[in-house]
Formats: sequence, C-alpha cells, structure tokens
Amino acid sequence: MRDNLRIFGFAAIVCITCSFLLSVAALGLKERQQINIALDKQRNILLAVGIPDNPDDFLTAEEVANRYEQHLKGIVIDGEGNAVEGKTPLDLDPKEDTDELAVYLFEEGGSIQGYVVPIIGKGLWSTLYGYLALEPDCDTVLGITYYKHGETPGLGAEISKAWFQDNFKGKKVLGPDGDIKSIRVIKGKVDQVITDEAEKPYVVDGISGATITSKGVTAMLLKWLNEYDPFFAKKRQVYKENTQ
Amino acid sequence: MSQAATTSPAAAPPKKPPLQLLSKKEKKILKDPLWDDNPITLQVLGICSALAVTVQANVAMVMSLAVIFVLCLSNVAISAIRTWIPDQIRIIVYMAVIASLVIMVDQFLKAYLFEYSKTLSIFVGLIITNCILMGRAEAFASKNEIWPSFLDGLGNAAGYAAILMAVGVLREIFGSGSLFGFTVVPELLYDKGYVNNGLMVLPPGAFIIVGLLIWVQRSISGYAEEN
Repeated sequence: MRDNLRIFGFAAIVCITCSFLLSVAALGLKERQQINIALDKQRNILLAVGIPDNPDDFLTAEEVANRYEQHLKGIVIDGEGNAVEGKTPLDLDPKEDTDELAVYLFEEGGSIQGYVVPIIGKGLWSTLYGYLALEPDCDTVLGITYYKHGETPGLGAEISKAWFQDNFKGKKVLGPDGDIKSIRVIKGKVDQVITDEAEKPYVVDGISGATITSKGVTAMLLKWLNEYDPFFAKKRQVYKENTQ
Repeated sequence: MSQAATTSPAAAPPKKPPLQLLSKKEKKILKDPLWDDNPITLQVLGICSALAVTVQANVAMVMSLAVIFVLCLSNVAISAIRTWIPDQIRIIVYMAVIASLVIMVDQFLKAYLFEYSKTLSIFVGLIITNCILMGRAEAFASKNEIWPSFLDGLGNAAGYAAILMAVGVLREIFGSGSLFGFTVVPELLYDKGYVNNGLMVLPPGAFIIVGLLIWVQRSISGYAEEN
C-alpha cells in the first residue's frame, strides 16, 4: 500500500513538473509563433499568385511583408458575393461569421490581376489548409498552395511541394458550358492517362501512394469553388463586360 | 576493438596530469558511440529519422542538434531522479521526460526556425519514439551518475548526428547537386550530360547510403554479427 502511494505520488510530481515546464515554454513562445504563422500565410498567398517567380526562391520576412502590402488586399464577402464594408479577413470569426468569406485581391500595376481564396478540406490524416488563386476571368488558375497539413512526408505531404502545385497553373475551373467543372487530381500522369485533349485542362498529375489526399484535394476544390461562386460569377460578368 | 586495445596503453601518458577534463573511462563513454558502438550503424537504432530527414544537409543538421539537445538533457534529468523513480513505472517516466523535452524543442523551432519546423514536420515529434533516447535512458542514465550520463547522451547523440550528417551531405550532393543549399556540382558537368540522381532524394536512397556506411564501417572495424 505504501509502495503504491509512493508510485502515485511520484507520477503526480513528474506530471505536474512536466506540464508546468511545457506551459511556460508554450506561453513564452506563443507570440513569436503567431507572428510566424501569420507571415507564413502571407508568404503562401504570395506564392499562390506567383510571387516570387521561382517558388524555390526564399523571401525574407521583410520582403514578404512588403510585397504583401504592395500587391494584396484582404476583403470579406457575404453569401451573395458582395463585399462587406469595413471588414478584413482578420476580423472573421470562423464560428460566428459562417456566411462570410475571405477573399484576397491581387493587384499589380493598378488593376486587379487575380483573386485568392482560402481552401480547407480533409486529407488522409489531417485537415489541409491552402490558397487557390484565380485569374481575373475567374476561370484560369493562377496558382495553388498548401501551407498546413499533417499528411505523410513523401506521400500526401507532396501537396506542399512546388512540382505538385505547378501542375495547377493555367488549368480551368469552368466547363465548356460555363458551369463549375473544377479540377481533379487523377491517378498517374495526365499525359499518360488522359487521352481526351478536351479533358486535359481539368486534370492534374496525381501523387503515387497518396490516393486519399489526392481525393481530398479534388473534393475541396469543388467545394470551395461552389462556395465562392456567387462572388466569382459577379467578377466574371465584370470581366466579360470589360473585355468585350 | 583489438586495435584500440593495443594502441591505447602505449599512447596513454605514464602519469596522469592532476587536472584533466575527462577521465579515461569518461572518454570511453563519450567516444564509443561515435564509432565502436554507433547507435545507427552498429545498434541500428533511429533509422526512421535517418532516412526521412536527410535529403538536405541543413535539415539533417537541425535534426541532429535537436536530438543532441534532447538526449543530453533527458539523460541528465533521468539520471538526476534515478534513485527516486519507482521501478514499476520507470519506462513511462522516461517517456514523460523525453516527450516534454521534445515538445519544448518543437515549440522552439516553431518560434525561431519556422521553415525548418515545417520541413521537419512530424519528425521532431517522432524524436520521442527514437529508440536511441529510450535505449540510453534505460541502459545508462538510470544506472549512472549525472556527469557520465550527460557524456553518454552527448556521445550517442553525436554518433547519431555524425551518420545523419554524412547521409545528408551525400544525398544532397548526389541528389540535388548542392550542399547546405549552395550549388557545388559545376555547371560544366551538367553541360557534359551529368544528371542528379533522383533516387537520392527519395527514402530508398538513404537506405542505400546507410547500408554503404555500415559496410564501410564494419570492414574497417572488423566487426561481425555473432551467430
């Protein structure tokens, strides 16, 4: 009995000491971590619109902040696709503002060159967080990035690699009839698997060994393109009027 | 082993100077895991991370530093409380100590080396299950004084780090033509038709390199598995 008490006592002391030390570390480092996370989001929004040109070039924290400031503007839209005045994506509370969505406008040379929207969806082990950027026609993909996930390194985690993300550039999200067709991640390489030329703008190379992550990517693209469709439809209209 | 036994008495000074940083026994604790008893090439522990995080030398280095830090401190902590640890729950106590240290490293990386923490992803967390740590805690730190335990941790972690770095450097040179991110294979070679070896970037490439390292080491040391 005495022995058991000693064991429980010792276990309790170890647990309390460890949790105390961890709490101190977590709290002390929290602020810096949050700065890093915010910076990483900005970095990935920039990557989605193709800044820097070569995704392997690494921008310093200062460069990221500068270019973000220069080129991107976050707005909030409501369920009909209209901008909500006086709100930025930072004000969005995912629990309360369920019918409002964040959009980042990509500006260059005084005109809008693209729209970046956050995309979230399930992979195999984890939730995938990324950004999808469309060109002003709201049809052509400008870029895609994934910045947070817990997929298997070498397999599902390849979604955050440049080779996978490069696949998406220039692909189309609208079918010939103007409806959302979205983009599918297929099994194998597009050039070897897909024979129909008309289908090629809507498919990208898959990741071998990561079928479920690939399916997750396909599903989340379709989901978020639909969610944002009221907004994109409006922008498409404007784009058509301007180009005609 | 035989070589070390014949040369060391001759090399050792006849009279020990009064002040020495490490005693002979301590030196042995520190040096053995570097070569004769290397955790990766001899004990074949910690292979998982040796395969996973050695695509680039700098990532391997961050991982090595993390393991050195955790192993030294976990050995010290476990040695410090070794007389109080109840035998029945010793493994879970080791685990708690190691896990706490690893989480601290992970938090630190997220705060100060964010890009590395993304590249290393789950492998920092997996230091917890790295057999080297548990192995040294059970085999050494739980039975020895704090100072030798620290040296044992340092030696084993350094032995692990040495192999990790060797694999990382070789993989980066042959797989990406660079070293610590700087291009080292001259353009001229690429112009002549040299191509980076794609296998080296993948985990099987690390397997082959670790295998080669084990082969080289065993043929030098003359070590053979007993039947």
